[in-house]
Amino acid sequence: MTFPAPRPAAPYGMPPIPQGPSPLAPPAVELQSVVRRYGSGDTTVTALDGVSIAFPSGTWTAVMGPSGSGKSTLLHCAAGLDRADEGRVVVAGRDITRAPEAVLTDLRRRSLGFVFQNFNLVGALTAEQNVALPMRLARARLDRRTVRAALADVGLADRGKHRPRELSGGQQQRVAIARAMATRPDVLFADEPTGALDSRSARTVLDLMRRVVDSPGPQDGSPAQCVVMVTHDPVAAAAADAVVFLRDGRLVDRLVGASARDVADRLATLED
Amino acid sequence: MWRMSWSTFRERWTLFAGALLTVVFGVGLVQASIMVSLGAEDPAIPAGTSPREAERLRDAYEGAGSLLGMTAMLACFLAVFIVGSTFAFTVAQRRADLALLRTLGGSRPQVMTLLFGEAVLLGLLGSAGGILFGIPLMWIQAYLLTSTGILPGSFAPQWDNGVLIASVCAGVGMALTGSVAATVRAARVRPLEALREIGGAARVMTLGRWIWGVTMLALTALMVSGEGKADFLGAMLIAMGVSFAGAIGLSSLSPLVVPLAGHLLRPFTRFGPLAELAQANLRDGRRRAAATAAPMIVLTALVVGLMAMLGTQAKAGGADVKRRIVGEYVVTSTGADAARIASVPGVQAASTSTVADIVLTVSRTEDGRRQKKKVRSGIFAIDPAAYQATHTLKPVSGTFGELRGRAAMAGPGSAEDGIRTGTTAVAEIGGRKVRLKVVARMPATLENNADAFFVPRSLLPPDMLAKAESETTVKVAAGTNPADVANRLRDLRIGKVETVSAWADARVGRQMKENNSVMMVLMGLSAVYAIVAIVNAMVIAGTERRREFAVARLTGLSRRQVVQAALLEASGVTLIGVGLGLVVAFAALGGFLFGPSGTEILAVPWTLIVLIVLGAFGISSLTSVLTTRSATRPAPVTLAAARE
Repeated sequence: MTFPAPRPAAPYGMPPIPQGPSPLAPPAVELQSVVRRYGSGDTTVTALDGVSIAFPSGTWTAVMGPSGSGKSTLLHCAAGLDRADEGRVVVAGRDITRAPEAVLTDLRRRSLGFVFQNFNLVGALTAEQNVALPMRLARARLDRRTVRAALADVGLADRGKHRPRELSGGQQQRVAIARAMATRPDVLFADEPTGALDSRSARTVLDLMRRVVDSPGPQDGSPAQCVVMVTHDPVAAAAADAVVFLRDGRLVDRLVGASARDVADRLATLED
Repeated sequence: MWRMSWSTFRERWTLFAGALLTVVFGVGLVQASIMVSLGAEDPAIPAGTSPREAERLRDAYEGAGSLLGMTAMLACFLAVFIVGSTFAFTVAQRRADLALLRTLGGSRPQVMTLLFGEAVLLGLLGSAGGILFGIPLMWIQAYLLTSTGILPGSFAPQWDNGVLIASVCAGVGMALTGSVAATVRAARVRPLEALREIGGAARVMTLGRWIWGVTMLALTALMVSGEGKADFLGAMLIAMGVSFAGAIGLSSLSPLVVPLAGHLLRPFTRFGPLAELAQANLRDGRRRAAATAAPMIVLTALVVGLMAMLGTQAKAGGADVKRRIVGEYVVTSTGADAARIASVPGVQAASTSTVADIVLTVSRTEDGRRQKKKVRSGIFAIDPAAYQATHTLKPVSGTFGELRGRAAMAGPGSAEDGIRTGTTAVAEIGGRKVRLKVVARMPATLENNADAFFVPRSLLPPDMLAKAESETTVKVAAGTNPADVANRLRDLRIGKVETVSAWADARVGRQMKENNSVMMVLMGLSAVYAIVAIVNAMVIAGTERRREFAVARLTGLSRRQVVQAALLEASGVTLIGVGLGLVVAFAALGGFLFGPSGTEILAVPWTLIVLIVLGAFGISSLTSVLTTRSATRPAPVTLAAARE
């Protein structure tokens, strides 16, 4: 598998990023007026308050906002891990708003990948077994070459037999990315992927995610992959194609091709 | 999925160690019981044994068989219980892992397959261990049965290859049954829990616990409220019911009840910050406290409740016997010597019961069907007139006067066997068969091994009467000092002279000893399981708390203080567990207080209670210190940062 060189970040103030390979292609993930509330009665908290947003294929969007702004809830609703109280969620062309558990399981198997802040590798399994796990769960034919290639892509070809506790944090996160990419999902959801890493490991992880977005789809003509990333880190957010800002459950801003400093400044004004 | 089951099993073997041990123990017991039962099924009766002795042996084997069946059943039940709590624990601990599996595309059936896979592995490993362990266990069981006199020394258990299949089935069956509830719960883990750190927030009080616990406690309350109106038999049933229902109810509700009882320990928090921390942890760590206290509640309630009930029954029987005797002394001698008692000066009446070494075949009616029954023991030859003079018990049908010639009378021991007056009984007396008519029937008494049948002395050949063991109840004439009569009786040198009270107490003592030997086997087994369950819960909880302990140390506690605080908490839980168990046991005995003898007949097994309290505190303290020390071995900084 080869990846093209990272494209240069769009300068500040440019028009919105291109909408995938074809302007007619549906977005990989779309939220339409999504409302999510927690609790009941006087203690009700509206985590998402009518959010509409589309994440096109072949793009990388960072979601930012102060604590409690609803960014994690947005990620959970978009990934079908949490149910929207109102509105619609469409993932890979399927409306999953009221989908039964079996449909969601199937969706997670075939179309979605996850990368977490705390890596979430299965401690009992080796790196190779962790990467192979989603395929085995999907009962797909296990292709050892794909597994090894995925590990080689993240620079861990020689660590396949190691268990997570024998790897550094950065290495564990790379295994997690290899796991998420081995099945070539339509959408990769990342929850603070660099949150527990030193700056050098974080850079490596961000470079890997860039390669994911920029590589072409698995088959000719199939859409490229989409990355949705929640983060606190302006440097990580600046690596994405676009940054959206949430406050009190509402989308309040969107920057395209911004620098880390621009992102940090915007975030600081939101937190005031 | 199977490979993953295996990896998890290997990775988390410490969690499964307790469960594995119980399955090994359970399979071993089932196997040993099967083999001993096989040996007892076709008893080897030594050549030259008299028919009466052979019959006694067969009865003994039958009794041993049912005792072993009971231990095997109990072993299975308790193993399922412990496997269940272990799996519940591992699922609670692994919620994040299971949620991750779901996030990565694992379906509910796949999660269930994973856990059932672990259960099958546990079962197979447990069976393998149990098959090996069952062999020495079989010899131990055989030794226990022969040394306690339940079976003769010639007994040998039997090996059969079929038992291997039974052992594997038992092991896998126990593990699978035990894991069902936890597996179903695991399948309900939502994928979102992998992203949010809410693993620990899982509910401890499940709906099943609520329903089961509240129903059982309501039943207990109902029975306790009925204690004032119950007769002795009712009080016995209530005691048994309350022991079981109360133990199950309180242990089901233990996540609720134990922290609540923890409030009672509040006065101890004045003794310093460690005591305060321990009390707070006890109330906060509901799952942990409940899992440790529940087996203590069950064990204490059942062992103390049932032991006290059986002891009380024996004592009540003794009190009943004493009440029904009009006389001061009982002389144990041969039949020939007993004949001399009546002529001793100062003896107003002497009634001799001589053991009749005969076999009676009686017809009994049960559920409208007539059946034959052979009676071999508890048959006594009496003189009806003398008997009436020293005993107050009157027949419920027929009279003492009719007990003459070829007649028999159903004693209190066969009052509930459905024997009717007017029916015929066949007696085998020294090889000759004689047809007897049942002329009278006695009412039931509280004594467990009461006299079964009375026959007239004239029925037995004189030499048989002369040699047989006899007990003579002596009534001293008015105006005579009983002690003088006792001395005169002792001067005859014909046998043992006891006061009625001492004689009855000895009878009670014999019965209690009999109870104890059976209860010891059953309760010893339950105690082993309770210990495994307690240690298991504490070890699992200890490993879970590494991070908590590390944080406590970073806050300024020394390692020693952490160990002390955990020890205090464990002692608090033990106090609550044993205390609640004793509450149930004493509630179970309430019914006896309202009987005719009041507290006099209450047999509270104080030695047993002291043993249980010491044992519970010893085991929980030792386990607590060892697990806390091992959990606090690494430097606190490395653990405080780690995500469990």
